[in-house]
Amino acid sequence: MGHGHHIEIKQETFSMPSKAKSFTMILMILGLVLTGIGIATIDKTGAGHDAHQTNTEHSATESHEGHEAHEGGHEAHAESEHESGHSADAAHEEHSNVDNEAFGPRIEYHAQEKPWTTKIWSNLLVAGYYFTMISLCALFWYAIQYAANAGWSVTIKRVPEAMLTFIPIAFVVVLIALIFGKDNIYHWAHYEHMGLKPGDTGYDKVLDGKSGFLNTKMLFIFPTVLIIWWYFLGNKLRSLSIQEDNGPKGDTSFFKKSIRFSAAFLVTFGFLISILAWLFMMSVDAHWYSTIFGVYNFATHWVSSIAFIAVFVIYLKSQGHLGLVNKEHQHDLGKFMFAFTVFWAYIWLFQYLLIWYAHIPEEMMYYQIRYENYKPFFLGNFILNFAVPFLFLLMRSAKRSNWVFPAIASVMIIGHYFDVWFMVMPGVFGPGAHIGLLDIGVFLFFLGLFVYWTLNQLQKRGLVAMNHPFLEESVYHDTGV
Amino acid sequence: MGLVDKNLSLRNRNKMLIGVWEDEDALLSATQAVVDKGVHIHDVFTPYPVHGLDRIIGVKRSRLARIAFFCGLTGLSLMFTMIWYMYVKDWPVNVGNKPVRFSPSWIPVMFEGTILCTAFGMGIFFFLRNRMLHGIKNDLLDERQTDDRMIMTIETCEGMDEKGLIDLMKEKGAVETREFHQGVQTVI
Repeated sequence: MGHGHHIEIKQETFSMPSKAKSFTMILMILGLVLTGIGIATIDKTGAGHDAHQTNTEHSATESHEGHEAHEGGHEAHAESEHESGHSADAAHEEHSNVDNEAFGPRIEYHAQEKPWTTKIWSNLLVAGYYFTMISLCALFWYAIQYAANAGWSVTIKRVPEAMLTFIPIAFVVVLIALIFGKDNIYHWAHYEHMGLKPGDTGYDKVLDGKSGFLNTKMLFIFPTVLIIWWYFLGNKLRSLSIQEDNGPKGDTSFFKKSIRFSAAFLVTFGFLISILAWLFMMSVDAHWYSTIFGVYNFATHWVSSIAFIAVFVIYLKSQGHLGLVNKEHQHDLGKFMFAFTVFWAYIWLFQYLLIWYAHIPEEMMYYQIRYENYKPFFLGNFILNFAVPFLFLLMRSAKRSNWVFPAIASVMIIGHYFDVWFMVMPGVFGPGAHIGLLDIGVFLFFLGLFVYWTLNQLQKRGLVAMNHPFLEESVYHDTGV
Repeated sequence: MGLVDKNLSLRNRNKMLIGVWEDEDALLSATQAVVDKGVHIHDVFTPYPVHGLDRIIGVKRSRLARIAFFCGLTGLSLMFTMIWYMYVKDWPVNVGNKPVRFSPSWIPVMFEGTILCTAFGMGIFFFLRNRMLHGIKNDLLDERQTDDRMIMTIETCEGMDEKGLIDLMKEKGAVETREFHQGVQTVI
């Protein structure tokens, strides 16, 4: 560190230790086994939701149920109306009819009996979406470094470069989940098949109004086009990077091209990433909307992507690789992670805060079902993803530690997976969702696959970007005492 | 330990040897050479941060971060107390039937209060500790030390090879060398 001594720059190659191979294999096998046990033990009669009535018809009892479940604050009001006589009762009924038209069917849908396979598809959706976004955010991280002319990160740039190759695999998982499970995961998809016209029983004005965007074609085509475009750019950046390695010393043309491709990625990613969040996550509760939801999703995945990068860097370092990476790089990753932990908490809170302020019933259903039925989960999400990492990462020694830092990063990786799980499951299963073996198994399997895939990709090129113009700057990176 | 760092007052110290540089690389190699001779460098004044300098002259890590943490805690509790007193104890107001107790609307206030107290606290303690208070006149060793020149200061002590150090500075690219004693500078 410092100008005091000279650091020799030489290429390194990584070959996956057998320990890492067997560890990821064990993760995958364990995941599969747990998934198998989970599937075998699912109650396939669909009685898992017996806490709720399982009517699918839109009857008067349900309109009442929906009214109660989703307007807790309204109940006292309704009761007082009951006492004051017949005319008030009629007014109440009228009111609940209005409610039913706007928000009714969704409640019945939550309570509706679903095929037991829904649990599998929704878990695949969570895992696929999480890892798609993680690898996309790795690409985002990579592109930011170029667009910002960042020098410090050059010594670790191979890690996100390897992570982003997972985009297509994870996205295929999403597509599989959608093809098989969309009608049961998204009630708007189910509603689409019903083909109801205004005036029909069960006609849903809100879903009909949104059908220009929320429809099956959009669900498949839009994200696929986006992912293909982003993966094309990611691939381009990867190949520019390896061309630079093999090219003549001091040639900055690849670097300059990389900046342009990064900019193309950043602009499209920044503008359009919310669409994935709307289509895949927010439309689980299709009557509900939140303008900040795309940012919230981005914050979730962005911070966990940084956590993954940090874990990989520290792992490689512990295996005696990345000799050019010093504590300063790790510390900077820590600061990065700390900053976006706060950012996540900020978005998480403020999405709720505005809804809480406004007190509009149709905006509250997302929180209503999650807070009423999953209070420990709801608060645990905040503790796991904000309180714990915040307090630890405040400390400089924790960010520079070889075990506290990756431990916190791992907590966040798990915590944010749970965050995505929590966006989907209560919306799909109502109050009856729980974390079972299946959920854990699917996570472990894809975690193992992702880690294996990334380490495997890391073997394919040298760990040092030898001809990167900022390599020297990164090697002598030092932020001072 | 006083709050104000008295070490920073050059006037009350022994005779100081001063070297003036125009180039940061030359300065870095000079500081390294002086440190290698086992001489303690009192301080180096530069118009902008020079990479690696702090490590060479052995600057200790600043304790400002800890002060920031406690300022933040102060701000947090201050704002909590304030809003609790106003909103719960002194004059409860029914706003949209929201509960009159801790609720999400308190969080922005507490958050902003934390930031405010941290920022102001850090600024105040930084200037206090660095003797950059209004009314304290600091010795400017060179008029261009805030512009394009870098100043190295070494405090002399018994048995120090002053001549040798001056020669070393000159050899390492010092454009000027001076002596500073009780507010008087002489070029040597």
